[in-house]
Amino acid sequence: MGGQLTYLGVPLARPRVGFFELTSCEGCQLQLLNNEATLLDFLNLVEIVNFREGMSERGDNYDIAFVEGSVTRQDEIARLTEIRKNAKVLVALGSCACFGGVNQLKNRFRDLDWVKKEVYGDFPIESMEVHPLADFVQVDLEIYGCPIKKEEVERIVTDLVVGNTVRHPEYPVCMECKANENICLFELGELCLGPVTRAGCDAWCTSNRRGCWGCRGPATVANLKQLEEIMHTYGFDRETILDRLECFGGFASFADTLRDKGKKTPTGRKNP
Amino acid sequence: MIFKVFKKEELARLHELLAVNIMVGPVARGNDRNGKPLYDFEVVSDFAELALDYTQTVHSPKRFVLPYRETLSTFTLNPNGWEKQVDLNVRHPLVFFGMHACDINALNKLDLVLAKSTYPNPYYLGKRKNLFILGLSCNPEPQCFCRSMGTDSASHGFDLFLTDLGGKYFAEILSATAFDLLSQISCQEPSSKDHTLYKHLTNEKSKRYTTSVDTSDLTKILDLEFASKAWDYWGEKCLSCGTCANVCPTCYCYGVEEQIDLDLRHAGKTRSLHSCNLIDFAKVAGGHNFRPESATRLKYRYYHKHRGFVEAFEEPLCVGCGRCGAACLADITPPEVIASVRGKM
Amino acid sequence: MQNKLPLLDILDSSPDPHRREDPGLFEYTLPAEITSIYPLTAMEKLYQIQIVDPDQRNRFSFRPGQFVMLELPGIGEAPFSISSSPVRRGDLELCIRAVGNLTNFLARVERGTKVGISGPFGTSFPLEKMQGHDILLIGGGLGIVPLRSPLLAVLENRSKYGRVDIMYGAKSPAELLFTYQYEEWRRFDINLGITVDHAETNWQGRTGLITELLQERLQQTTSLRENTYAIVCGPPVMFHFVCKMLTEAGLPMQKMFVSLERRMHCGRGKCCRCNIGSTYTCLDGPVFDYWSVMNLKEAI
Repeated sequence: MGGQLTYLGVPLARPRVGFFELTSCEGCQLQLLNNEATLLDFLNLVEIVNFREGMSERGDNYDIAFVEGSVTRQDEIARLTEIRKNAKVLVALGSCACFGGVNQLKNRFRDLDWVKKEVYGDFPIESMEVHPLADFVQVDLEIYGCPIKKEEVERIVTDLVVGNTVRHPEYPVCMECKANENICLFELGELCLGPVTRAGCDAWCTSNRRGCWGCRGPATVANLKQLEEIMHTYGFDRETILDRLECFGGFASFADTLRDKGKKTPTGRKNP
Repeated sequence: MIFKVFKKEELARLHELLAVNIMVGPVARGNDRNGKPLYDFEVVSDFAELALDYTQTVHSPKRFVLPYRETLSTFTLNPNGWEKQVDLNVRHPLVFFGMHACDINALNKLDLVLAKSTYPNPYYLGKRKNLFILGLSCNPEPQCFCRSMGTDSASHGFDLFLTDLGGKYFAEILSATAFDLLSQISCQEPSSKDHTLYKHLTNEKSKRYTTSVDTSDLTKILDLEFASKAWDYWGEKCLSCGTCANVCPTCYCYGVEEQIDLDLRHAGKTRSLHSCNLIDFAKVAGGHNFRPESATRLKYRYYHKHRGFVEAFEEPLCVGCGRCGAACLADITPPEVIASVRGKM
Repeated sequence: MQNKLPLLDILDSSPDPHRREDPGLFEYTLPAEITSIYPLTAMEKLYQIQIVDPDQRNRFSFRPGQFVMLELPGIGEAPFSISSSPVRRGDLELCIRAVGNLTNFLARVERGTKVGISGPFGTSFPLEKMQGHDILLIGGGLGIVPLRSPLLAVLENRSKYGRVDIMYGAKSPAELLFTYQYEEWRRFDINLGITVDHAETNWQGRTGLITELLQERLQQTTSLRENTYAIVCGPPVMFHFVCKMLTEAGLPMQKMFVSLERRMHCGRGKCCRCNIGSTYTCLDGPVFDYWSVMNLKEAI
């Protein structure tokens, strides 16, 4: 499709792009296919050589690899390493790829064999501790969110094609939430990670009166110590706070320090 | 200034006359977790929707003149170059029905920078010039320190200001439009009794403030205490979330972002309100950050509002509405910050 | 409907680029074209930028030290100090280092690219007051860029100024800017001193700090108090040492000028990015005398 791409007279290379998924719901890729209005323009901007969810042809000759999902099996490490080898730019697409995502909730349990038995019974399946991509390969760019925001991906891809620096908002969700003139959910008695979570979602959840769960991970400055104090002031107990902080994995290291690691329930659940 | 009085029942008639225009006013937005009622400014058409006895809105009225996000210009690219289109986004006049003195003063302060300066901002100016403001007297709330900022009453910047005298309103008229409107309702010249009552009530109101800020020599003290430990104390609490700037009626700092459409044939430029408390506020091309610590950023917020602006305009860039402190989850309030910098905590 | 308010239009004429109170000026850019691109080093290029409309070009006037905003749609807008002589008017030269989004894109564009120019903005060097005096132009790294316009203005009227010294330091010989003009400058009786921090073996010039160059110059004069002006541009650490030395040599603070420009964003005193207390670098600067800078917290 199309001839030579240019912008202000500067010739641009149309990157060959591949989409891949490890352990995930594929919801992020689905988001990209979701809007027919801009899909054709998007397809004009890039050459898609691998997109299982959108087409049947496959190719391994790509410049940019978008990888959705987290690593939960040994064979995924090998696959990821192979993708890394082929790609000039490897993009972690969505919270699972960036932080482990909802999948990494299972890491809360110390006894992973017990988890496996609870979920799969005696069915023979390999499932290890959940990791984000960056635990195994170099990640060049992260696109946050569960799911990712289509407009943001389109903007990032445009920036990559034009050669602009890809920028994420450095500030937390509060900025966008206030710009939408919401009443602070804390004042309405609800828990919210907005003050520490990276913006870019246009306060999607909080504008619909649902507290932020931190799917986009920490903002450049995330004053978690202060937020912890605030949560206590507003009457939330530690387990409620931990449920939030541990949901998507972006706050894993802080959650770890909050949780007393020494104590475990017989089933592996760490005690509050 | 021309004064009139009219019976309270006439207010609905006044509203009706103005209702041919798009109108914004205070409305109830439910209660907070402690049962305290919340208010905000919204577009209203029905007089009954207005919560004219409102305490204070959570958000300031500034978005109606200075939207949080606004497209400054769009570009169309063609083989020979490009063309720029500018739209000031001024669609219609707007009537503000029931603005408190602090917020009127906030607009007056914004005028100093955005309208009455070199390079006036036409996006702001266009909206500001198309405002009709009906001001309304208020009652001091615990967070209000407007009296310390000299903004507890408004002397200009409105068309009509109403003070509640009990059964009637005392009206201050500052525009021909307002005068013309009042001529269409049942209005009287104020009697000397009305004058006395007005003076008594404003005097009585001034005694009901429970929060104050000592502004004496504040510009010098902020310089003297530039290295004060107090900044570190507040900096450690600060979430660097920008909430204070967003709810503030006078904060106007912004950032500009460019977007290129997916078709590579159109582009746009958007202004977004920013906040000096945000980590990237003082970051420059090449990556250097002049204010990497949140304590420094917080300090410069005060430095701008209570020193720099005073130096330039003889008044602080703060109306003492207390919204920033009320909205701050970390409980950082200007009266406490300034007291601590003065060494009074 | 008698109470229907009329919609007031605040823009009633085409904007006048030289009337700073004109609200239409805020987003107005003069259509301009890049007429030539000359690579100076691996990082910097010199762009000739011509305002397209001949009438607008001739009416465009600026004073050395001022800057323009350059805009490319969808890429960005940023301030650049003007490097050309004021007599060239709207036929500008900008020396630009590729460090950010806009400047990296500019490094890729071809001759003929259309850009938007607004300005000129900011304060300038008091060249009229400097007449009859000796002038020290001291620049480190990219700091030579804002010095070039006052230098060229001096060359236009060379006889009106006394002794003129340029002291210019760069990290390495490869980073020296405007090398092709050094001989020409010398022909105009300019004392040009150049030093680099590090050099390859074939470097004939001197190696060392700019303060050493200044020290030698200061030894030739008893006091700078009466008949000297200085303009200093460069990294903060250089400002610090150079301005201190000049002060000790008797140069009054009001005769020592610096150009601060790193933090400007909107150029119009509105966005607050360059605000330091009551000072907006873009309105009250970029040219400040040393006293004003000393009085600013965090300035250098």
